[in-house]
Amino acid sequence: MEKAKLLVETAALAGEIMLVSGAEIYRVETTIQHILGLAEGWQGENIVLGTGIYLSLDDPEGETITLVRRVADRSTNLNRVYLANDISRQLCAGTITVEDAYQQLLQIQKTSIYRPAVKYLGYMGICMFFAVLFGGSLADGAAAMLIGFGLAVVMRLAKKIRFNDFCAEVVAAFFIGIAALSLKSTILPQINRDTVITSAIMPLVPGVTFTTAIRDTLNGDYSAGVTRMLEAVVTALAVAAGVGASMVLFQMLAGGEQLW
Amino acid sequence: MVAEILIRSLGAFFAVISFGLLLELPKKYLLHAGCVGGCGWLVYLVVEFCAFSEPLAAFLSSLVVACMSHIFARKLKAPVMVFLVAGILPSVPGASIYRSVYYMIRDLSSLSNHYLVQTLQIAGAIAMAVFFIDSLFRLGQDRGKRS
Repeated sequence: MEKAKLLVETAALAGEIMLVSGAEIYRVETTIQHILGLAEGWQGENIVLGTGIYLSLDDPEGETITLVRRVADRSTNLNRVYLANDISRQLCAGTITVEDAYQQLLQIQKTSIYRPAVKYLGYMGICMFFAVLFGGSLADGAAAMLIGFGLAVVMRLAKKIRFNDFCAEVVAAFFIGIAALSLKSTILPQINRDTVITSAIMPLVPGVTFTTAIRDTLNGDYSAGVTRMLEAVVTALAVAAGVGASMVLFQMLAGGEQLW
Repeated sequence: MVAEILIRSLGAFFAVISFGLLLELPKKYLLHAGCVGGCGWLVYLVVEFCAFSEPLAAFLSSLVVACMSHIFARKLKAPVMVFLVAGILPSVPGASIYRSVYYMIRDLSSLSNHYLVQTLQIAGAIAMAVFFIDSLFRLGQDRGKRS
């Protein structure tokens, strides 16, 4: 019984890490199912939704272990998906024990491979290289990189004061709009406003959520698909609202003069 | 023209790697993910240049991206998501969403609708391509095995 309890805990933990890190629902479900399958003669079952995990393990004599996990604070973390997947593979292959797997999973929850400074570089790189990718000029790339740095600072501050995601995205998109329009009307008049703004909003645009939502939906996990699709739509609206607001404000400040 | 396409694909390569830093992509797979993104965008640009159709370009480039992601995932024993998520980002219709809202604000609803429809078309094209390859690679694989 003790052993089965630990197995259920391990399965739930692996599932939780993968779900929080943005893995597809079917992958989370199969991972949990594989781990539960290690209890021979027991009947395991699990349901994973976008916001929670339910799992149960029935022993042959009729006792049931049930566990429910509510999941909050989702953010994509490919490293954790990869590691959790790896550990469950090893566990199922029998190369590590359940205790080891549980301890390793606890470790994963805290790991982070890139330092904050590298994340800043990431933001700047995304903005600059997306400008290149969209066919922008050198000046566009430089402007986008500057804005990317500012964006990283804004996002970090927003996280620090525990702003919710929606507000943080609106504020960040607002900042991008203001920064791009200011740069254009002051020191870099030759930049293409469209290119710079579209490249700079790329870190905010819900591309990842959107892709996963599609894969979930087409895999038949409709409830999670809808949850994630809605998440993507809300994020897109937040970004659009932020940029839109900055344009309107800028136009008003410039005394009704058409800036575009 | 050729030089421009190559430069822009190189931009995609680095853009995807930068995105990898934000998404905590494991270090040893950064280059692979970058290649997936770069090749995807190369296909996108070539198709767009030849056929002038963004949804078609998005569809074909997503096919390439999804296919490469699955192959890398098999070879390197990592979840498909690790390569797919970053690789698909260049073709995600961020620009069309932005233009749609932009024209909405400028009160040009016909242009706004045009870009909204384009966004949905591109999104749908990507979805179809990813799903198509997903299903293809799952053929002949027993239900229990993870891809």
